[in-house]
Amino acid sequence: MRIGRVRRAQVWLLLVMVAAATPAVSAALEPVRRVVSMNPSLTEMIVALGAAEALVGVDEYSARRVPSVADRPRVGGLYSPSLEAVVALRPDLVVLVPSVQQAAFHQQLEALGVRVLVLGQSPVSFQRVFDALDELGRRLGRTRQARERIDAIRRTRDAVVAATSPLARVRTVVVITREPLYVAGAASFLDEMLQAAGAENLGARFGEPWPRASLEWLVEVAPDVIVDSAPGDESAETFWARWPSIPAVRAGRVVSVPAGDVTLPGPDLDRALLRLARALHGDALPLELEASP
Amino acid sequence: MKALRPSHVAAAALGGSLLLAFAAVLGLSWGASTIGLGDVIRALFYDDAPAATADIVLRIRLPRVVLGALVGACLATAGALFQALLRNPLADPYVLGVSGGAALGGVAAIALGGGFGLVAAASPVFAFAGALAVTALLFALGSGHGRLASTHLLLTGVVFNAFASALIVFMASMAGLVEATQIFVWLIGHLAGARAAVLPWLALFTALGLLGALSQGRALNLLTLGEETAAQLGVSAERARRRVLLSGSLLVGAAVSVSGLIGFVGLIVPHALRLTLGSDHRLLLPSAALVGASFLVVCDALARSALPGRELPVGAITALVGGPIFLWLLRRQALRGWLT
Repeated sequence: MRIGRVRRAQVWLLLVMVAAATPAVSAALEPVRRVVSMNPSLTEMIVALGAAEALVGVDEYSARRVPSVADRPRVGGLYSPSLEAVVALRPDLVVLVPSVQQAAFHQQLEALGVRVLVLGQSPVSFQRVFDALDELGRRLGRTRQARERIDAIRRTRDAVVAATSPLARVRTVVVITREPLYVAGAASFLDEMLQAAGAENLGARFGEPWPRASLEWLVEVAPDVIVDSAPGDESAETFWARWPSIPAVRAGRVVSVPAGDVTLPGPDLDRALLRLARALHGDALPLELEASP
Repeated sequence: MKALRPSHVAAAALGGSLLLAFAAVLGLSWGASTIGLGDVIRALFYDDAPAATADIVLRIRLPRVVLGALVGACLATAGALFQALLRNPLADPYVLGVSGGAALGGVAAIALGGGFGLVAAASPVFAFAGALAVTALLFALGSGHGRLASTHLLLTGVVFNAFASALIVFMASMAGLVEATQIFVWLIGHLAGARAAVLPWLALFTALGLLGALSQGRALNLLTLGEETAAQLGVSAERARRRVLLSGSLLVGAAVSVSGLIGFVGLIVPHALRLTLGSDHRLLLPSAALVGASFLVVCDALARSALPGRELPVGAITALVGGPIFLWLLRRQALRGWLT
């Protein structure tokens, strides 16, 4: 359980902290049949589009996070991708996110004539996820499924925005790790999620997406809700109870979320968004929202 | 050896204590949030400060001031001990590999902890065990012809540190991103993990190490005159060295296990004190403890308040402040005694 949480957090950090500006390769003409995914978020998207059978190899994190592909050949992790293992699988396409760690790997693959698709450029946003689903749908011959998934997420987002906009903004801090303290800042994927869910993201005062904040700052801004997705043995409730002046602590509104479930920009954004909105607003959120997606 | 003049002792004790008190006031009143001295006092001594102020002063700043003072005292005293033991001005608390052992233990607990179901709180325990293991190694391998020799100790320490950093880099590259980030933060040195629970243990080991160190002041004075002179004056060089090594290792192990590798404190504080107080270790060692404590508390206050809402690793501040001070000391020829 603990390992699972740590891994999910890794996966999530992996997606949000890496950055590069590599343009996506232009579209292929016929559906690819042999895909290697180097990223759990992209693996989840491929599975959600119903193209799991095209996955001939996955990275370590995908294998841990997505049970249905755990039996696929593994091709290494973020820091240790195996060029040889990927090439041996004779993929039509390798999908990865633009990470500093795999930049050299990416170039080596292309030098060997392997087609590479880079998705999810930083900063990751709803639109980037839609683009990634769309592109994967076209490559894999699953355009209809991609369209449906994107529409479902859009509908839920609109419904959540409509339901939460009359409500008061909930002053929120999203904690990524506790010691040292990293929070969700401005222009991050989570910032967009928080705004849609009717929160005032207090971490947005820091310019960058994943700032290191000070504990004093958190106590002083007095959030009404703490959404804690930090890995660790200690429960979020126990950890934050050390500072009882925090309104979220006094009101029992420290919400613990497994990192990947709410914060991983995958194909289930609608569910993640609903979950976040429910955590922020509780019973003030209209009930019919739950049934819509 | 000259007798200590009571007026010198009193001046050093008073000066050191005042400095520490001043540092503590600074540490309690500086931080990410603006809290007036009046509110700090209300939070500390009366029960009528606003709840958030009480949380910040009593449950964030106070543990960090105590932690910073203990770690600073350990590092500065250990630095003074090792400089005298090795008769080398570049010796710092980390030179003998004890820190490498502690770092290896701590990092291993972070990197592999999840796999063995260890809690994160195990990291200081493992770090301390690592420090003790390297101390044992130094006793076993640092002896030439049956006794501890400076060169043997130094070489063993330097090589062990290099070995430990290689292993740490290896573990960091195999670890996941979360663990790798924790390892990185730990290696820079920080006081962010100030937990009330670790403070009594740290205080205990600091006290033991300091007592051991202070008892060797006279022996160190004689050792710096040369072993033969020391022997003539009735000091067993070998026994003194062993005690100094053990006390120093205890201090370094305690400090590194809770705060990672905070640089420069153990280097510049003893040198600055030699410049002002002279090199009588009976005076130098307790002063180093007080001034080291004050220095780290002030650096941590800077680390917590330099950028609004942010926090810098204190190791970065001690390096930024410490590097120029060391060069200045060099120009002032504070190191003259060492260089001739």
